[in-house]
Amino acid sequence: MVEAVQVQLKKGVLELCVLALLSRGDAYAYEIAGRLAKGIEMGEGTVYPLMRRMQADGLVDTYLVESSAGPSRKYYKLTAVGRASFAAQKTEWSAFSAAVNDILGGAQ
Amino acid sequence: MTRDDFLRRLRAGLRGLPAADIDNIIADYQAHFAEGAAAGRGEAEIAAALGDPERVVRELRAEAGLKRWEAERNPSAAASAVFAVLGLGAIDVLILLPILLSVGGTLFGFFIAAVACFAAGAVMFAAGPFVVIGAPVAALLLSGLGLMAAAASVAAVATLVTIGLINALVWYGRLHMRLLKPALGQEEISA
Repeated sequence: MVEAVQVQLKKGVLELCVLALLSRGDAYAYEIAGRLAKGIEMGEGTVYPLMRRMQADGLVDTYLVESSAGPSRKYYKLTAVGRASFAAQKTEWSAFSAAVNDILGGAQ
Repeated sequence: MTRDDFLRRLRAGLRGLPAADIDNIIADYQAHFAEGAAAGRGEAEIAAALGDPERVVRELRAEAGLKRWEAERNPSAAASAVFAVLGLGAIDVLILLPILLSVGGTLFGFFIAAVACFAAGAVMFAAGPFVVIGAPVAALLLSGLGLMAAAASVAAVATLVTIGLINALVWYGRLHMRLLKPALGQEEISA
């Protein structure tokens, strides 16, 4: 039960988390995957389907950066649409989590 | 699981998608293994953290199917969206299938009825004045037209309901896309 709730919760905020990470600076997928895996314990492999979807939705864009060691890296950056979506989702999340916390606090 | 195992299973699962998409996806995971190796992680460790390649495949394919339905609203895209959602295992097929079949059957019945009605209207409109003797021609023409118009509107409503149904299914599938199921702790990883 607890695990199912966690999966549902994480699923809902995954895109928001990626938007938040990218709002602080462009990143390549390996960084994003590592950051999310450590922070909210998600499978690293799932970041790639998510990034593809966000790119198809026009939230993020990619560009290649030559690396001194190894092949060039594909960086992700927020588009204008992505920034607007982040602002809207962040506001929504803050209001929602405040309301839930309020109710949880009242239950004790 | 080694790097090559993972990539081979991924590629096998993606068969049938556009070649450029497959290459892009494979390149992403190749880069991931390269980054991981540069960070001093072993192949097996990286593969385990990535999770089950078949699960990744299901998510990529489902997304491709849903995208197609959003881009081109036609029966073949609708079928691929429905199968993509079912493929995710997001919906219990045993529960959903009877519902889908009965709703689909009802809609199909409406379509057939609409076609038959339209044909009857057309016959009345075209042949009525010659066959039915004694009835006013204008009345026959008008009721023929009326039947055809009614049939067309039934068909239009049934089409709208069908599109709405598939949209609802796509929405449901999105909601349940298990993007976040932690990679570790899955039975297939240990294999």
